[in-house]
Amino acid sequence: MNEAVETTVIGSYPVSLNTLKMMDDYSNGVLPSWNPYIKHAVSSMSDAGIDLISDGQTRDPFINIFARGFQGCRIRSRAEVIGPVDLVKPITKNDLTYVSSIIPKDKKILGLLVGPCTLSESVVDYFYNDKKELAFAFANALKKELRIIEPLVDMISIDEPFFSNIYPEYAKELISKVLDGVSCRTRMHVCGDVSSIVQDIVDFPVDILSHEFKATPTLFDVFSEHPSDIGICLGCVRSDRKEIEPVSEIITHIEKGKQVFDSKLKQLAPDCGLRMLPEKNALSKLRNLVSAKEKIYG
Amino acid sequence: MFSFTKKQEVLQIGNISIGGQPGRVPTVLIGGLFFSGKPDFSDAKEDINKMISISENTGNPAICDFFIKKTEYIDDILSFISSTIPEKQPFSIDVTDPNVKVSVLSKLDEIGLLNQTIYNSIHVGITEGELDALKQHCPNTAILVAFNPKDTSPDGKIEVLETGAHVTKQGLFSIAKECNIKNILVDTAALAPGQNSGGSIAALPVIKEEYGLPTGCAIHNVVEKSTWLNNFSDAKGIVDVASNINIPLYGGDFAIFGSVKHANKVFPIIAWQDILISEYVDQYFGVKPSETHPRRMFY
Repeated sequence: MNEAVETTVIGSYPVSLNTLKMMDDYSNGVLPSWNPYIKHAVSSMSDAGIDLISDGQTRDPFINIFARGFQGCRIRSRAEVIGPVDLVKPITKNDLTYVSSIIPKDKKILGLLVGPCTLSESVVDYFYNDKKELAFAFANALKKELRIIEPLVDMISIDEPFFSNIYPEYAKELISKVLDGVSCRTRMHVCGDVSSIVQDIVDFPVDILSHEFKATPTLFDVFSEHPSDIGICLGCVRSDRKEIEPVSEIITHIEKGKQVFDSKLKQLAPDCGLRMLPEKNALSKLRNLVSAKEKIYG
Repeated sequence: MFSFTKKQEVLQIGNISIGGQPGRVPTVLIGGLFFSGKPDFSDAKEDINKMISISENTGNPAICDFFIKKTEYIDDILSFISSTIPEKQPFSIDVTDPNVKVSVLSKLDEIGLLNQTIYNSIHVGITEGELDALKQHCPNTAILVAFNPKDTSPDGKIEVLETGAHVTKQGLFSIAKECNIKNILVDTAALAPGQNSGGSIAALPVIKEEYGLPTGCAIHNVVEKSTWLNNFSDAKGIVDVASNINIPLYGGDFAIFGSVKHANKVFPIIAWQDILISEYVDQYFGVKPSETHPRRMFY
């Protein structure tokens, strides 16, 4: 079973925009292409040895990627909801299609959705005035996006960081709504200290749960108290600190994960998205993660 | 033809008033010189004088927009400006290369022209060096180009003004404030056909209603990029000039209309449009035209 353990990412990768090139393009009547930034992120993850690769979420912070794409939303100083939320055109399809055209054949693609609860908690709502109704509107729209990108990816990951602080009683129903009928593998990532909700989320309808085990090692004990068959994506390096964890430290951490989760340990990843780190640090963290995995699993 | 609910600022930049409710002050017209690179001073003074003469005739204020493409042209162009542009008359400098921008700002400060300068422009391509130069040699007025590479809609333009849209570390308003720029003009960033070119016109009333600041754009650039018009050579120039009427019609305050050589066509058509607007907003909203408004000049 351990042979199936794969290295992956949570989603985002650092991006350095060439704004002068963007203005040159503007002056020449050309809309700037994002492909160079996607290609750089994908190549970096691939060159580091990561097995399951995202598009790097280089376009925007993850909330804005979806708020910018959904009908009924707009972004001004913040993301706002000003009408009925719906998906009228694909949001991440073009980028994932581009990723599929440039990744090596031995790499797999991770599709990313920001969760409906996180979206509903992050936007300024001028339309629904009802958090639950808004969250389910987002869930419906996300389900449409999932249906579109499902054929392009090997796994879908739903990112629900708000669950660690705000866990609505309809949380499971929300995620079920998005994932209903999905045929590819699924993951739910919740960062922060999820100790208080582990007992609730271990029976969510996803294949894998992903958490910040490196920043919050007490989660090992909490999960031990709530045994389940659900797979685990083990956060192995900090995404909120520049310091690069040595390979030996990551090996010790993974060994701990093996002890606690045994064959349920499915993925090794950074704790969270890497967008806020300097790129050289993010890349070194990924390289060390891959080295640690190879030393353990060969 | 309409009136904004948000209080509209009328900025006094030298001898020019710009902004306000539609129909209050005339549309300001900004004509360019030295687009092609090496400045040709032989016709420039005559072209400027012609534009100012038409401006005095119609009442629409004229501003010269000087392109400075290379460092080696800075001294000659600024010397030309010093000797040609009257002390109370603002002018704008239009520079692409960030290094040239830094040198131009320093030189403008050295020769005491920063108070007359409209800096064209601050946008998402601002470099650290340019930012430092702007803080050190602060022009009186700057145009903020609300180009958002992620979102060409009016909302996207507001986003880049407010936050920088995660393309820059801060919004364009914040950059201007950090540099202590006194007067802000917003350019709604006209885009080529097929790229939501209408968004820059739609953004005029949206941004005016949101901030009350003088707002305009270079809508004629869209005509230049409409290559299908090359099949209608007799009409292309007319469309180029006529495109500018969209700006006052949608509540905008200034048009960056291209070469000063087009002034003889652009000024009358905009004056005509300003009169049309003034007659209605005066009658319906009670907005009285200023003393130099084309309606006062001709009626």
